[in-house]
Amino acid sequence: MQGAWWALGIAVASIAALAYYAFVVLPARIHRWRCEGLRAFARLIELRTQGRYGKAEPMAELASAVAQRLGVPLHERRRMELAVYLRDIGMVAIPYPVLNKRTPLTPAERELISRHAEISASITEQIPGLWQVAPIVRLHHVVYSEQPDAPLTAHILSALEDWLRIAECADADTAASVLKQGAGTRYHPLATQAILSEVHQRALNSVQTLTRSAALWL
Amino acid sequence: MSWQERIRYWTVTLGALAAGLLALTGTPLIHEQLLPDLLGIVVLAITAELLLIRYPLRPEYSDRGIWLSVSTPIVIAVALVYGWQFGVWLDALTSFVAGVVTAHLRNVRLQWVAVNTAHSVLSASAVGLVAIPFDVSQVGVLSAAALGALVLGLFIYMLVNTTLVSATVALAEGVRLRWVLAQTSLSLPRDILLMTPISFLAMAALHAYGAMGLLGVLAPYLALRQAFVLAARQQELYHQTIRSLGFLVQRAHPYTGGHLQRVSMWARRVAERLGLPPERCELVYEAALLHDLGKTVLDERILNKPDRLTPEEWEEIRKHPQLGAEILRDTPFLAPIILWIALHHERPDGAGYPFGLKGDQIPLEARIIAVVDAFDAMIGGEAPNQRRPHKRPLSLDEALAELEQGAGKQFDPQVAAVFRQVVREWRTHCEARAGA
Repeated sequence: MQGAWWALGIAVASIAALAYYAFVVLPARIHRWRCEGLRAFARLIELRTQGRYGKAEPMAELASAVAQRLGVPLHERRRMELAVYLRDIGMVAIPYPVLNKRTPLTPAERELISRHAEISASITEQIPGLWQVAPIVRLHHVVYSEQPDAPLTAHILSALEDWLRIAECADADTAASVLKQGAGTRYHPLATQAILSEVHQRALNSVQTLTRSAALWL
Repeated sequence: MSWQERIRYWTVTLGALAAGLLALTGTPLIHEQLLPDLLGIVVLAITAELLLIRYPLRPEYSDRGIWLSVSTPIVIAVALVYGWQFGVWLDALTSFVAGVVTAHLRNVRLQWVAVNTAHSVLSASAVGLVAIPFDVSQVGVLSAAALGALVLGLFIYMLVNTTLVSATVALAEGVRLRWVLAQTSLSLPRDILLMTPISFLAMAALHAYGAMGLLGVLAPYLALRQAFVLAARQQELYHQTIRSLGFLVQRAHPYTGGHLQRVSMWARRVAERLGLPPERCELVYEAALLHDLGKTVLDERILNKPDRLTPEEWEEIRKHPQLGAEILRDTPFLAPIILWIALHHERPDGAGYPFGLKGDQIPLEARIIAVVDAFDAMIGGEAPNQRRPHKRPLSLDEALAELEQGAGKQFDPQVAAVFRQVVREWRTHCEARAGA
């Protein structure tokens, strides 16, 4: 009979393992697969625009960390990560000469490019299982003063996209000052605060790591 | 024989077999004091059966696939505790009732309910072979013998059920049984492993507390279902990515739409004829669907140019196989097809691009796509707006002759010969249909 209780114990333990597999391991794996699949979309746009857009992986990772700071639930963070990969896919419908123009764009061309968020969202809506990602994609350039009720994840992407672009073109300090100036008008104040804190924390961490490795070396 | 006739004969055969088996089984001996328990089990099993999971089969289907349910662990536990006859009747009843409800909700034909019920009866009857010599009250539920019988029962049920479902799908879809079995049997060991603890617990709970005990297995059952749902979604995700990328190519360049569909279907047919394993044939289909993905990156002014291209423009066009591979570089689950996409413009004589590989240096799958792609480009597509703007379409005979001439130089001779045969058969089939 003792052996029987062992068998029952093993059955219960197997079910606990099954629950862990079903509710923790598989959802994480599926999210990873999804991101890997959508990376192809982001890569396509990077190649089409000769690297001007994209940089999806680091942005997805940074956006997720910022959202975690703001207490955004895991499923919302995952949707936002998917939105990062899909946000510029609408560029596929923008004519190549406009996308790769080296001289300043005309107002008509700017208008054309600004439609990419809507096109990206309409493409996302047609991918089964991703309709919940489409609103974030549609609003990834949202202006806080115009649509304060937009999802927080969309506000995060809007501010983060500008921060990354300015930091790449100029430097991190300029990007931080642009974000601070726009907080409450162009950008969501909470999102701005969280981005700046996260970036500051990362800079500190990298300095500490550098100091530690230098100390070890000396 | 048309597929409708084949399905009708198959339904009648399965139905007759199932009815015969139910008659042989007889009415299960139900003691009066067990009746409430058994009714409770029937209700719970029907509920479990109604929680369906869609399992996708092919990337080109957006809304088709097999609908699975995971009431099997309960059926096996019941067969071992209350006798195999009750297991057979329980499975028949749950499949039928849940099937009728599902048919009403999802607009499914009642014929499929009959087929599914017959699958269940035949599978549960096969389990009877294991359960006949086995008396759970004699050996004890919590024993190695009971566990062994349970695993064997699950294995037999799943094996018979998977084979029958695969045969039905093969008949209904007009595809090879080998191909469907390759898809459905892959997950068999995992499914049995996942179901065993639930079924064991259900058996112990049924033995100790009857139907009320089964309620205690509800939470693990839902976990099991969640695992199946997510496993199916993982499979679906793979197909979705391919479909979505294909959709993107079509949206960016509408003239490639019909071309991609035709090339992918021809390529799979040729791969099947060349004897490639079923999963390889599916990969060929997927690679063919995405072979022009790199063109989405190129300047549309060159792609849509009606005049002859300049050498510089040709140079740009020639980048598309590598660009396609580059797009998929960071997507590990598409890794097997990346090389074929990169090499689908190589030629056996070494005059292809981008690397100028020769003969066997080019993978067979890339050679298949090359032949089919070139052929479809030659015939220029079906609709005028799908024709490539800078090429005059050839007739079918002219294109076949061109394939023959290019065999050994532009095209792999074996692949070209098989493809010519496939095209001829297709034409005969079309002519026969037009005549009818």
